[in-house]
Amino acid sequence: MKHRARWIALAAGLVVTVFAVVLATQVGTDPRADANKSHLLGANAPSVDLPTLDGARLRTSDLAGKVVIVNFWNSWCIPCQEEHRALADFYGRHAGDPGFVMVGIVRDDTDDAVRRYVANEGVPYPVALDPGARASLEFGTRGQPETYAISPDGVITGTRFGPSSVANLEQLLAAARGQR
Amino acid sequence: MAWVALAAVVVVTLAIVAWPSGGKPSQAQRVQSVSSELRCPDCESQSIAQSSTETARAARADIRTRVAAGQSDAEIRQAYIDKFGPSILLKPESGGLGILVWGLPAAALVLGAGGLVLALRRWRREPHLHPTDADRELVQSARPR
Repeated sequence: MKHRARWIALAAGLVVTVFAVVLATQVGTDPRADANKSHLLGANAPSVDLPTLDGARLRTSDLAGKVVIVNFWNSWCIPCQEEHRALADFYGRHAGDPGFVMVGIVRDDTDDAVRRYVANEGVPYPVALDPGARASLEFGTRGQPETYAISPDGVITGTRFGPSSVANLEQLLAAARGQR
Repeated sequence: MAWVALAAVVVVTLAIVAWPSGGKPSQAQRVQSVSSELRCPDCESQSIAQSSTETARAARADIRTRVAAGQSDAEIRQAYIDKFGPSILLKPESGGLGILVWGLPAAALVLGAGGLVLALRRWRREPHLHPTDADRELVQSARPR
């Protein structure tokens, strides 16, 4: 008690030092690092019911028992255009497998632009529209392209943010089949 | 007496600032409030409330639905953390490591203010020294003639 001011100064100095250490250790770390990965990994895939480009419906409930690859994309996104060939090639490898489904869900684009892109570039797998961006929100997407692999029991087993190669897609597929 | 008056002013000011305005917030106010706390998922440094992206609009509609369904603000925030991770919050969480971000500056402020009060009190207690005749003589002798 005799040197109360000194003790308080010491405590204040200690607090400032701890704060400085905390800040110093955080320098160089990305506070949004968790934005580069999906937090739905291991969770049940969101249930969606979307119109497809050809007038049908895409319902996740109809896909139970199959391995599903979902690719969020749009026509104006350059990385989506860059991965287009890999997606088409990958789909071509597995299209004959009755236990395999692949679907592209359009994110943040107009129907007309998507139809033009599909007509010009040729997208061999079903394309679903996402009016109101409900599916984009439910999957926790932060942009496009993003690719999700769903196991036959409806669990998200793999995700990839950014353009995928055929090898990346094969890895996602293997994980969804439990072959990782 | 001056200290008591100063403390009273501080307490009254804090009470006015911290006092909740109005009664229970409406559903629209809650939607606005929660939307303002959440980062737009597909844009930089904007809240869901501010952003006009399709996903932000979808999120506002989703929050509206959740509020109408009776979910608390904390439950809605947690649903978004579960989906997007903690970085979906524009402000750090007040628990876990986040408490350091809020707590340490506040602790430093309180301790600093406490130290200042003690120092001021000590200075007040110290006697005001007046020069003695001996002091005056010493000064006079030191002055150049």
